[in-house]
Amino acid sequence: MLSRQLIFVLIALSVAIPLVIKIGLPNQVTTEVRNVYESIEQLDSGSVMMISFDHEASSLPEVKPMAQAILRHCFQKKLKVITLALMAEGTAIGEQLLRETANEYQANYGEDYVFLGYRPQAQSAILGMGEEIKRVFPQDYNNTSLDRIPMMKDIKNYNEVKLIISVADGDLPVTWVDYAVSRYHPKFACATTAVMATSFYPFLSSGQMVGLLGGLKGAAEYEILLEKPGMGQKGMDAQSVSHLVIVLIIVWGNVVYFLRRKTSTVDSPRSTAKPL
Amino acid sequence: MNIETLIATFLTLCIFSFLYKDNPFYKFAEHLLVGISVGYVLVMAVNTTLMPKLVNPVFKQGELGYIIPGILGIFMLLRFFPRYTWLSRISIALIIGAGAGVAIPATIQARLFSQMQASMKDFASIDGIIIFLGIASTLAYFFFSKEHKGWFGATAKMGTWFLMIFFGATFGYTVMSRISLLIGRMQFLLGDFLHIIK
Repeated sequence: MLSRQLIFVLIALSVAIPLVIKIGLPNQVTTEVRNVYESIEQLDSGSVMMISFDHEASSLPEVKPMAQAILRHCFQKKLKVITLALMAEGTAIGEQLLRETANEYQANYGEDYVFLGYRPQAQSAILGMGEEIKRVFPQDYNNTSLDRIPMMKDIKNYNEVKLIISVADGDLPVTWVDYAVSRYHPKFACATTAVMATSFYPFLSSGQMVGLLGGLKGAAEYEILLEKPGMGQKGMDAQSVSHLVIVLIIVWGNVVYFLRRKTSTVDSPRSTAKPL
Repeated sequence: MNIETLIATFLTLCIFSFLYKDNPFYKFAEHLLVGISVGYVLVMAVNTTLMPKLVNPVFKQGELGYIIPGILGIFMLLRFFPRYTWLSRISIALIIGAGAGVAIPATIQARLFSQMQASMKDFASIDGIIIFLGIASTLAYFFFSKEHKGWFGATAKMGTWFLMIFFGATFGYTVMSRISLLIGRMQFLLGDFLHIIK
């Protein structure tokens, strides 16, 4: 019988050891991640993209590698990037990540990228931007009027945006589909935590999303396509080894359960339970 | 090593200590997280909503029309005073009415019509047939006006298999998600704190 504490130690070791000793397990790129990459790769230099940081701080280890890989691709392609946050905690995190990644590529604020800040009530913000972005965000995060930002001069609403990506840890991508995609028909993709990924697959098959990045693995796949290793690929060995350990623990638990049920019929709760 | 790294390391270890058992260090870190989160969201609400959407328009730009939603917002806060709770129902009615009006057509279009269309268009392929079988059998499982016997029972049973596959995939993704969070903390502890990894 494995105690809880022993399982925790096993999981901790299965994560820590591969981080220290590189194994280099293979990682295949999935179609949904490739579709996001291709959607950005096909855009001409100067095209406008919108990235929304729709997440909280608690999911940072998953969303940061994905957001970073996508932002790197955007700046590498010299796209104009409009960013915003529809969750309060995503604001400071998104702004910091945007600034760091923009500095890597010497992108200039106001010309190559802009951060609009946070708006509550995601539904009304998404609907409002479909009519006019300036109505929802009259000023950017630094309280500069959008009229004074060169990049925003020719951008009115989703018509000028070639692709929207929601970096999310909840179901806000569904809100984007409900209110932006179904009404204004922009191209839309999401980079979401793995726990939410299965919820969005129906939107992939219906074409309401062009692609999807699911958690750390999604980030690692994107980094492979980008040929720029980052936080995603660094964690994938640990991910694979810890999954193997969990599978072995589940198998071990089942083997012990069936052996006990076979050998001990008297002591089992099922046999001692009295019928009502 | 900077002070931020030391604080983050201390708080990470406080949270991890719960894996052994509940203790005051864990409680401290948990309460700190809740307090900071609430404070942060409050400041964001004031800076991004209250000031630019109410205070500045009314007091700096003289747009008095904004007073009406401001009053409706105050009505919501009157829920804390039993004598005036009834006023909050006006605001709630407005939110529910407008919210439902906006949400219902969008949701029906995005989640019902588009999904139904997607499940039909690829019917000639193996994937399309599997999707159709999955939808039909799962719906059969949740149809309780007919006893689950005979061919209908077999279809409903097949629906449970599809549900189990979905639950398994979701659980797998959940494990991956939680392990990713642990990897993030391990990368911090082994990298930023101990400098064992780069």
